[in-house]
Amino acid sequence: MEETNETLCIGIDLGTSRSSISASDGERHVVDSYVGWPLDDMVARKLMKKAVFVGREALDNRSMLDLRRPLERGVIKEGSAKDEEAVQELLRHLISLIGIKQKSKNRGKVRAVVGVPAEAFRVSRQRLRSAMDGIADSVMLVSEPFAVAYGVEALLHAMIIDIGAGTADFCVMQGRYPTDADQRTLPNAGDSIDERLLKLMQEHHPEAQVSIYMIRDWKEKWSFVGEPKSRVTVTVPAKGKATEFDITNQMSAACESILPPISETMIDLLCRVEPEYQEQVRQNIILAGGSSLISGLPEALEKACSELGGGRVTVVKDPIFAGSDGGLAIACDATNADWQRLSL
Amino acid sequence: MENVEQTKLRILREAIESNIGVARSSRVKPQVLPKHTPPLWLWGFLLIAIGAAAGFVARHQEREDVKKMVGAQLDTLRGIQAQKSIAYRAVPSLVVSREKDPSSHPASADTTKTLSPVGGQLLKAAVPFAAAYRINRAALPLTVRRIVIDPGHGGKQHGAISESGVSEKDVTLDIALRLRRLMENAPFEVLMTRQTDETLPLEKRVAFANTSNADLFVSIHVNWMEPREIRPLETYYVGATNDPAVIKLAGIENRDSGYSLADYRRLLEKIYLDTRRDESYMLAKTINAELYQSLSQINPELENRGVKMAPFAVLVGTQMPAVLAEVSCLSNEDDVKLLTNADYREAIAQALLRGILSYAKNLNGSEKSIADLWKKQTKLSASE
Repeated sequence: MEETNETLCIGIDLGTSRSSISASDGERHVVDSYVGWPLDDMVARKLMKKAVFVGREALDNRSMLDLRRPLERGVIKEGSAKDEEAVQELLRHLISLIGIKQKSKNRGKVRAVVGVPAEAFRVSRQRLRSAMDGIADSVMLVSEPFAVAYGVEALLHAMIIDIGAGTADFCVMQGRYPTDADQRTLPNAGDSIDERLLKLMQEHHPEAQVSIYMIRDWKEKWSFVGEPKSRVTVTVPAKGKATEFDITNQMSAACESILPPISETMIDLLCRVEPEYQEQVRQNIILAGGSSLISGLPEALEKACSELGGGRVTVVKDPIFAGSDGGLAIACDATNADWQRLSL
Repeated sequence: MENVEQTKLRILREAIESNIGVARSSRVKPQVLPKHTPPLWLWGFLLIAIGAAAGFVARHQEREDVKKMVGAQLDTLRGIQAQKSIAYRAVPSLVVSREKDPSSHPASADTTKTLSPVGGQLLKAAVPFAAAYRINRAALPLTVRRIVIDPGHGGKQHGAISESGVSEKDVTLDIALRLRRLMENAPFEVLMTRQTDETLPLEKRVAFANTSNADLFVSIHVNWMEPREIRPLETYYVGATNDPAVIKLAGIENRDSGYSLADYRRLLEKIYLDTRRDESYMLAKTINAELYQSLSQINPELENRGVKMAPFAVLVGTQMPAVLAEVSCLSNEDDVKLLTNADYREAIAQALLRGILSYAKNLNGSEKSIADLWKKQTKLSASE
């Protein structure tokens, strides 16, 4: 972005696994939510030329870093100074990606809407606000599913299910700003699939040498629920020798493991909607977040709705950027007076 | 009927108002409770002292500081309690699982658990990560000898601040000091993470509790949440994965060298969590029950949100059963009025005491004096 004194609106989706940013000048970026500092070790210090690493770069150099995933399980660990610092580094990095130099005198005003996991929104609002100090001029925090709902204008009689890595966030939109009662958070999301798949690999293919990062990559490429479209095979070392393994059944079992809690929560929330609107909400269930890309997931949830009389589940057009685009929409719609009241 | 644009505008207004509440509360100048307000000169002195100390104390010396802090408090206690001949335990906080039905609460779904590490040695040892098992509680006589009370926030960290300017840090310190006073006659050593209005990072609180070999850790906080009409009561205990595969995973990752030290630490933390959780849950349950029973009589609007799991640092990092009680809500002005009343704060402290006693008296090795004190407190509460 060219440095001007113009005001820039941005939406940030601060996710457990990935964080994205959308800016009013059209810039959009996504990064892995990892932050690492070189270990206090002679070799690490010599090899690592930078003070801090963010995103894929941090992940790739993890063996020499004190690696943090600051929003693991959907909240910042309270009082963990390093995790709070990691959140700030992540935010700084995202802002730098759209070309804003924080110390530049010519920098225009930055107005940011930050979408965070619903649980972090509930318990860590003030700390998240503090983390934005010096990064933006004014800040508004919203829960991720609300940001998605706003972005796709699903504000009345709709349910948003934002399935990320650390949490699955549910939000029923009933024409009002959602309260705690309208929202739910489950710890069953992408990370729990990874853990399950790793466990199944160890049980069924104990000779295969795998890491959680390899598992995560496989899930992102081949995850599915229901019938597989093709066999899932991977090549990994076994006693050092590259060996091919068929992991179709393990992938299926791991991905299916999140279905029962998600279906149950969805049905429970649907049953709590005022009876005259339940049918409308059932027909307007929207999936967002990286884990909504699991093949066959909408159909599986529709099947779960069939016991209530049927429903329609769709995936947002761009699940990775749905949260940040929604945040950007909120940022652009808020007035100058609003932003003045939200200044840091 | 409202169109989409009007609905968006209205919801946007609500979202902004909700945020302005948070923004304002973080900027409001605190109006500290009179009872514990130090004079202005003392504030200045404290700030200078803290600033100077922070500049000179190197990071690697922090643990030594904590040890000294614990030592000083223990020395004081030894003096006070010499007549009671309290025996300091050599083995800290050996945590065991309850024999009760493991499905009785969500945290105990696993059939296998491990013993908690002793004296923080787990990180240094060559950990086998295998043979995880539950221990029959009846086999070990346990009792509570040392409790760490943690008044949330402090110093520069105000915590939540009400519209009228009441700071969480002041309320929590007041309640903690009351709780300590109430425990003077209990057969416990009571240590506090802070006794004054000082800034204390959570890592230091955790280190303090661990270094002092405490048997229980009780962190006192006050909530702040939307909508402001609600008046919730919540008690947290540590929550993360309860999957026994974590232990196996740690063993595997130990063999590979692809992980950083930070990852090892996180895996090890998960083992700690599994071992302590049953006891933490029971402690949270008894404290929450006592708080609700007692406070709902004064505050009928109080909403009991019960016992919940959360990965708060003080709960994750401590090595003994630990709970974090959100005893009231500063976003609700009616709650704030109650909190500014000393009788209400005393009632909270008494309820916390009964919760701790109720938990302690049910331990297999519990001393009779604990049960006696619990009975006395319960009678007192009933007569009030």
